[in-house]
Amino acid sequence: MLALQILIDGFAISALYALGATGFTLIFGVSGVLNLSHGAIMVLAAVAAWAAASLFQLDTYSGALIGVAVAVVAAFATYFAVVQPIQRSRRIPNEEKEIFVLTGTLLWGIMIQELIAYFFTNNAKTVLPIVEGVVDIAGIRTPRNEIFTAVVCCLVIALLWLLVNRTRTGKAVLAASMNPRGVTLLGLELGSIYIVVWAIYGILAGIAGVLLGMFLGVSSYSVGPLTASAFSIVVLGGLGSVSGSLIAAFVVGYLETITAYLISPAYRTIPALLLLVAVMYVRPQGLLGRR
Amino acid sequence: MTPKFRTLLGATALGLLMATGQALAADPIKIGVIAEAQAIAGASIPQAAQLAADEINAKGGVDGRKIEIVTYDNHSSSADSVRAFQRAVNEDKVNIVIASYISEVVLALEPWAARLKTPLITPGAASNEISKAVHADYEKNKYTFHGYLTSAALAQSVCDAAKELLVEQRHMKTAVIMSEDAAWTKPLDVGYEDCLPKIGLKVLDHIRFSPDTTDFTPIFNKIEGSKPDVIITGISHVGVQPTVQWKNQQVPIPMFGIASQATNSTFGKDTNEAANGVIYQGVSGTGVAVTPKSIPFTDAFKAKFGNFPSYCGYTAYDEVYYIADAVKRAGSTDADKLIAALEKTDWIGTIGRVQFYGKDDPFTHSIKYGKGLITGLMLQWQDGQQVGVWPADVAKAKLKFPSFIKVTSN
Amino acid sequence: MSGFFKSRLFFISLAVVIIAATLPLYVSGYVLGLLTVAYYFGVFAMSWDLLFGFAGEVNFGPTFLIGVGAYTAGILNAQYGWSVYVCIVLGAFAAVIAGLVLALPALRVRGPYFGLTTLVAVLILQNFVVVFADLTGGEIGLTIPDVITIDAGANYWIALGFMTISALILYGLSQSPIGLVLQASGQDPVQAGALGFNIVKHKLAAFIVSAFFSGLSGALLVFYMGTASVGTVVDVSVGVNVIVAAVLGGRRTVLGAALGAIFLIVAGEFLRPTGELATFIVSAVALLVVLFFPGGFLGAALSHESR
Repeated sequence: MLALQILIDGFAISALYALGATGFTLIFGVSGVLNLSHGAIMVLAAVAAWAAASLFQLDTYSGALIGVAVAVVAAFATYFAVVQPIQRSRRIPNEEKEIFVLTGTLLWGIMIQELIAYFFTNNAKTVLPIVEGVVDIAGIRTPRNEIFTAVVCCLVIALLWLLVNRTRTGKAVLAASMNPRGVTLLGLELGSIYIVVWAIYGILAGIAGVLLGMFLGVSSYSVGPLTASAFSIVVLGGLGSVSGSLIAAFVVGYLETITAYLISPAYRTIPALLLLVAVMYVRPQGLLGRR
Repeated sequence: MTPKFRTLLGATALGLLMATGQALAADPIKIGVIAEAQAIAGASIPQAAQLAADEINAKGGVDGRKIEIVTYDNHSSSADSVRAFQRAVNEDKVNIVIASYISEVVLALEPWAARLKTPLITPGAASNEISKAVHADYEKNKYTFHGYLTSAALAQSVCDAAKELLVEQRHMKTAVIMSEDAAWTKPLDVGYEDCLPKIGLKVLDHIRFSPDTTDFTPIFNKIEGSKPDVIITGISHVGVQPTVQWKNQQVPIPMFGIASQATNSTFGKDTNEAANGVIYQGVSGTGVAVTPKSIPFTDAFKAKFGNFPSYCGYTAYDEVYYIADAVKRAGSTDADKLIAALEKTDWIGTIGRVQFYGKDDPFTHSIKYGKGLITGLMLQWQDGQQVGVWPADVAKAKLKFPSFIKVTSN
Repeated sequence: MSGFFKSRLFFISLAVVIIAATLPLYVSGYVLGLLTVAYYFGVFAMSWDLLFGFAGEVNFGPTFLIGVGAYTAGILNAQYGWSVYVCIVLGAFAAVIAGLVLALPALRVRGPYFGLTTLVAVLILQNFVVVFADLTGGEIGLTIPDVITIDAGANYWIALGFMTISALILYGLSQSPIGLVLQASGQDPVQAGALGFNIVKHKLAAFIVSAFFSGLSGALLVFYMGTASVGTVVDVSVGVNVIVAAVLGGRRTVLGAALGAIFLIVAGEFLRPTGELATFIVSAVALLVVLFFPGGFLGAALSHESR
């Protein structure tokens, strides 16, 4: 009974983590950028969906769409206003661009977070679920919304897989993540690939944010923890490896759920953190990382 | 340090001189308000204080002296609050400070009130430690006043209400305590553990969780596993998330107790109406005439700020009034005279009759709890509205639960 | 090093310190209180810069070292009543030990992996503080019974003196042969290693020095504020401020980091009237500096001066 409960609850949260981390790792794989405004973009999407539904009286679907659209806009803003200027800057030495992108996106994330708190207070917001009510799965009362979350996450990840492996644009993205210089040699415009990747990233972060808003709720305080959890999952899985991130998301999600159920909700995040340190020590490149 | 920086310092010094000049001309009573402008509960504090000051000033002030409110946003942080307190006292020369609804912040400010010899009063922090420290070292800590119920009194208030509403009317027998891990809930939980069995509610389990918790599924499942009749809550930093998840997961057990965020009128919207059915404690509430002043205050607040005040809006509003009253009686804003006058406060405010416990009571300088003074209220969210359900003499509504709640007997 | 004492930077610094030392004579206690915090913060930022700017390691967890120092000192005083000075010294040593413990796994990895390891250390410390609430005061924070002094002027001079001495040592170290090896290893570890330098040993040394000053400053701050809480000395956002301060002031300059820290704290206070938007404005200004003046305040100034 308890095992089934953990299995169900852990799956939804893990799937959500996976979706959130996928876009993050994709960006890193293709352009070497660790976007530390990730959490802020997710929260922004959820808050936009909430605001559309409760302040402007739109229906849930339109609200969710607006949330995702806002995330895409925010992703492009991050790229054009912060990341690209740093990458193109002549005043920043190449070996330091990484730290500048980290600092820049971090500050950008804080700005978004503060604006959310300013306009909508730092109180938690929850998006009205698209599907409500509960169903009984072998004696476990499960919210329909939880199932919906898991299904959407899996569908989106599957779609992403199809896009990357079955379309021309997708293959170019995949190629770019393996060898950016090679792609340029093949005559593909690296700049347009970046735009495609950031668009994909915005959609993924937006969907993950809105789903999180429906499932657990978000507040401006969630920004830091969300970024940190995406960062951990991605490093645990191996930077740039999408499949590694998926595995890592499930490892972290289930580890947290098991801890919360079997030990105490207060210790929820500790085992995952310790595991992370252990992996860093034994296998610094992450589970599926390339060195 | 750049020259620019020194220019900035110069500008501050100049500003300081100008401020002192003005102070001499008008000689207002300056009240510093340090609060959490971004938090839904804290935002009401400066607003309510300003409202009270405007009302007093419109009637000519205190013996011709106007009341001036100086507000500081503390970003919910103790460090920022300490800095704001120093600024309020040393630079803005306030006579007294009204600060925060967070116990951690008030406990950090208490030693500073003693060091800088400036009276401090909180409208919303609950920890017993605040007034216990005054009792333990009166000469040092007498500067701090606790303008809200202590956690011990809050627990008593919840138990008194639970006895009538849950045990006598609904014949409930068992409860699980669910509280966030914070300064104010420690004594609250001790109070719950002590008084719940006395009123006939057996405590089956006691869950404390981190205020950072976002996923409440395991907590609700654990609670449901022990099959209690009611969940007794002690939550303030969290509120929206557990309430929404309670509804989405259709946890069939009612929540009853302290839920600070639920005291705010926007809570219904923030939770997409998941709040319906939540029963929470308040010192006063929208539409409940605790005293003849309660409803005029909420109406004036709504007219000015567009929403109803949170619980610490009521207390902050009352505080400005009884500070003004104390200044009038003391005939001075001198700290020691003001403290002596505040100790003799007997003020009918929006939350009841305010008096402070004395030097020999264990909770020195905390407001007195009891019949004829302040008893607190129980309110419930019903159909998107906050309605009073206890005590019967001021609150007429009956308890009403959403369909997924299975209340044992009616 | 000897060049420094003849450089313009030295005379400017000397003048600034002298002017700063006379401030208590003519500014209010409030301004002094603000600068006191800013100076301790300045030491955090300089320590961080030694590790990042010179050793090339992005430490996301400065507050791990600061927090260990602060909490060790605070707990020893609050729970065991040890004297303030003993507590401060032990706080600094605890931070050094924490630095060693962190360096062992962290120095095995580089770049983002190093960043994450240090970030995780902060998160673990934060959990530790909350879980062992009986000892640490938990989310509430620890109230410290003793303070060094409540006199604003004395506190200010202690902080200024401490920052000046730290600056001298840290800057001196960065300009010494050790600093040059660190810089070389940060930029091109392979080549620096090929030249026969033991990079790990040098980095470990940088780590320990950074930890010592972070911990010492954290402990002093605790005895100034009278409280130790997660939000003041451990939270990731505090660490972010330290990093922003160092980048803003000019990385690889050590002294610039202190400048950045003072700017951040003072600007935050000047913006207090803007209420909730203060943090937004400070972040926006910092972002603009990062984008358009990547050398930071001091970097921009120094680039005109031949070294």
